[in-house]
Amino acid sequence: MTWWTSLAHRLGYFGRRRRFDAELEAELRFHFESHIEELEQSGLSREAAVAQARRRFGSRSISLEDARQAWQFRGIEHGFANVRYALRQCRKHPGFAAVVVLTLGLGIGANSAVFSAIDAIVLRPLPFPEGDRLMRIHQINPRRPFTFAAPARFTAWDRLNTTFQAITGYYTEDAFETSGELPEKLTRAVVAPRFLEVWGVAPALGRDLTFEAIAPGAARSVLISDRLWRRKFGADPNAVGRSLRFGGMGDAVPTVSATVVGVMPASFLFPVREVDVWAPAALARMMPFREANYYTAVGRLKRGVTLAQAAANLSVVQAQLGTEYPQTDADLRIGLQPLAEDLAGRLASSLWMLFGSAGVLLLIACVNVTALMLVRAVDRRHEISLRASLGASRTALMGQLMTEVGVLTAAGAVLGLAIAAAAARLLHVAAQNLPRVDEIAMDWRVVSYSLAMTVAVTLMCGLLPAIRATRRDLSCTLAQGGRTQVSGRGRLQWVLVAAQVSLAVILLAAAGLLVRSFQELGRIAPGFEPSRVLTFQISGAFAEVNDYPRLIQRVDRTLEFLRTIPGIEQAATAATVPGVPGQFEEEIRVVGRSESKIAADSRYVSAGYFTTMRIPFLSGDQCPERGAWALVNQSFANAHFAGTSPVGQHLTTSTATTGTTIRGIVGDAREQGLHRAPSPTVYWCASAPRPSPFYFVRTSGRPAAMAETVRRKIKEIEPARSVFDIAPLDDRLGEAYSENRLRMMTLASFALTAVLLACVGLYGTLSYLVTIRRREVGLRLALGAMRGQIVRRYFGQGLGVSVVACAAGLGVSVLLNRALASMLIGVSSNDPFTLGGVALVVLTAAALASLVPSIRGALVEPVTVLRDE
Amino acid sequence: MPEPLARDLLPGTLYMMILRTLQEGPLHGYAIAKRVREWSRGNLEIDDGSLYPALNRMLVKGWLKAEWGTSENNRNARFYRLTPSGRKQLEHESETFSRMIKAIQLVMAAR
Repeated sequence: MTWWTSLAHRLGYFGRRRRFDAELEAELRFHFESHIEELEQSGLSREAAVAQARRRFGSRSISLEDARQAWQFRGIEHGFANVRYALRQCRKHPGFAAVVVLTLGLGIGANSAVFSAIDAIVLRPLPFPEGDRLMRIHQINPRRPFTFAAPARFTAWDRLNTTFQAITGYYTEDAFETSGELPEKLTRAVVAPRFLEVWGVAPALGRDLTFEAIAPGAARSVLISDRLWRRKFGADPNAVGRSLRFGGMGDAVPTVSATVVGVMPASFLFPVREVDVWAPAALARMMPFREANYYTAVGRLKRGVTLAQAAANLSVVQAQLGTEYPQTDADLRIGLQPLAEDLAGRLASSLWMLFGSAGVLLLIACVNVTALMLVRAVDRRHEISLRASLGASRTALMGQLMTEVGVLTAAGAVLGLAIAAAAARLLHVAAQNLPRVDEIAMDWRVVSYSLAMTVAVTLMCGLLPAIRATRRDLSCTLAQGGRTQVSGRGRLQWVLVAAQVSLAVILLAAAGLLVRSFQELGRIAPGFEPSRVLTFQISGAFAEVNDYPRLIQRVDRTLEFLRTIPGIEQAATAATVPGVPGQFEEEIRVVGRSESKIAADSRYVSAGYFTTMRIPFLSGDQCPERGAWALVNQSFANAHFAGTSPVGQHLTTSTATTGTTIRGIVGDAREQGLHRAPSPTVYWCASAPRPSPFYFVRTSGRPAAMAETVRRKIKEIEPARSVFDIAPLDDRLGEAYSENRLRMMTLASFALTAVLLACVGLYGTLSYLVTIRRREVGLRLALGAMRGQIVRRYFGQGLGVSVVACAAGLGVSVLLNRALASMLIGVSSNDPFTLGGVALVVLTAAALASLVPSIRGALVEPVTVLRDE
Repeated sequence: MPEPLARDLLPGTLYMMILRTLQEGPLHGYAIAKRVREWSRGNLEIDDGSLYPALNRMLVKGWLKAEWGTSENNRNARFYRLTPSGRKQLEHESETFSRMIKAIQLVMAAR
């Protein structure tokens, strides 16, 4: 016999239970009657034969039940009985059940929510066929912070490598579609050949892009998104072949018409989610420019090729290019990274930190529930020992107790999933700018994760109480007639309370540091004044750089016009937004010096930038309206011109051939991000570093109130262009740090929940001790003890354990918080102020939680207690 | 007919004896009980209440097959038949059992 034949037989039984019972009845009847017949033949009367047969046969129903049991899965049938019993228990003690379900629901919910985010953003491959084969290819220049690649280079990689199925590249830009009544701003991705091959996705309608040389003025082919197809063409299946028109901004940019050759499926989740149009790059023209490093290079590995193999292969290819083009390519290296990892970026470490915190929270919840179960087990000692003495085995008793925990945990998991689903919906709305956040969903992976957690939690919370409750020595409690003796001092309970308090301290300390960082960020003096500054962009096209003087003229004219608008005090443009994290380092040389190149942050700003941003002038002059000049900040002057004045010196960059004269020195400002100390910076005076620079206007009133005016006024002088991306600088800075805020808020909510749970645990444990010591306290009072003494003893016990636990928690925090260092701004990872504050908060909460049961414990009436006995 | 030795059989021997009675051919439950009684000359008696649970457990294990047929007194009865795996089990059990009996006898007869 093998286990699976018997399993098959049993499963067969489930299908024909009724028939089986009928057959068994018939069989037993046959047996009974045959017996009677035989007895009658041996000479007995009918009545005597029936009586004897009945005596011999015993209870037919027991026999039937025993026979039936042979076919059943006893564990399962017992399991159902246990579940029914557990549900009855919940109904009998709804308060207890609610506390446990809520506690576990919060713990499991926090975990499932963070897991769903980690799963979508970090763990799951990208939503493309075999998305784990997609690689971001970084072109690493040791002296540049950016890793974008030039098309001349990545098309060579594509041609020469042996490990990639295909390599392509793209960049995105704003485009203005003018075929409708009003120009519409779209995001366009300009893509290199083999683009669709890399993503492994075919258009849902139509065909791929054409990359043949495009004659000037001829229609280009474009692919459009499902979203645009529905919005613009009403999901018309004949949209392929229709035209879109781009540009049309004065005569600087000729209008280009483009033919829609295909529609991408809705499931095509391009990493830059806003993209609605994919247009082919005019690569033939780009080939001579080996420094056109602004494409994101992406490749699809051949099946079975590892990252290391591909990296080695590409490095060889790049080394080859280095000898061929020593001028531009010799110093370049290759960096490979799974594209999913590249997209998740810094968010991954935040998420893992939150995942760990959610784990700690769940641990606290489990310890809390364990303590509650232990208290309950004491209440049920009588019931359990009665069952044991009636023959229930220890395994059966434990099974029953574990089932009760399991039922409560399962309910908690359902609540947890609901919490996680709500959190996912909240993230979709509140954190749209996080990568892949729209992929967060309550799918089977999250559900099975929660299921696994349910099993783990059941074991963690149930095992210890079940073992203790069914210990043999407890069966003697029957003899004691249910009297509560002053047994033990609840040492295990206190250990559990201490564990909760110290874990809560750890979470609160981490949250405290993040909150302090965020406060520090607000308190930092950035060196410029972000309040009352409105920022926006005005549409432009890359092609405008073909006629650079005209572009500058346009931007300068717009600036002059802006300054005439009432309510606007100053106006300026810049290529970048100050205070929004970003590094724009460039190699700089001082003309006439032999020393090696200097790396400095390189910013392009117009005349009036410093007065608009209120960055102080230290010496020299402002950016003039015209001419190639540069200004440097204090740090740059100190670092490279110590003791002498840089004004009048000439600077060159790797691309510039002529020197630019330094005209003045300005104060240090935190251009690279509010949390970064200012670094040596060169400001190049250029009002139009690109066709759509950022405009900054200092307003006399609330900046947001000026938005409509600006939009209307610009319409007057530039009817074909649109104002977009309009926001007060303060909001933009807040947006730039929204991930920090989200991380802080999440951790803070975990920490507060943890403190609350720890207090509930402390309160519950002390209440329990107070209850079982009623008799003792009553006696003491009767013998003359003071109530104050009793209160002090209970209170001292609760607070004492909390103090010890708090100290332990702070000790662990100091060790753990080092891992947080990279997320902190302006505070050290063991900031005494924060840790002291945490101790104060936790101990105050612990004191409050201890006080109530302590006082209640002392309010015992000795007479009542003695009468109860 | 003498009184049976004990209501309870030697533990573990019930399956073996049921298998043995079926070695000659299919029988219904009542006939199995009767045959054990007769072959043991009335010394052994299978408790009616434990016969059918045992038969069902053996069906689950796959040692027996059951099918409905007509009894000698012309009634519908359920007949049990050995399966090949039941036959193997019988060989195995009877061999173990006789070794054990011999061993016990050796112990009891030792001087």
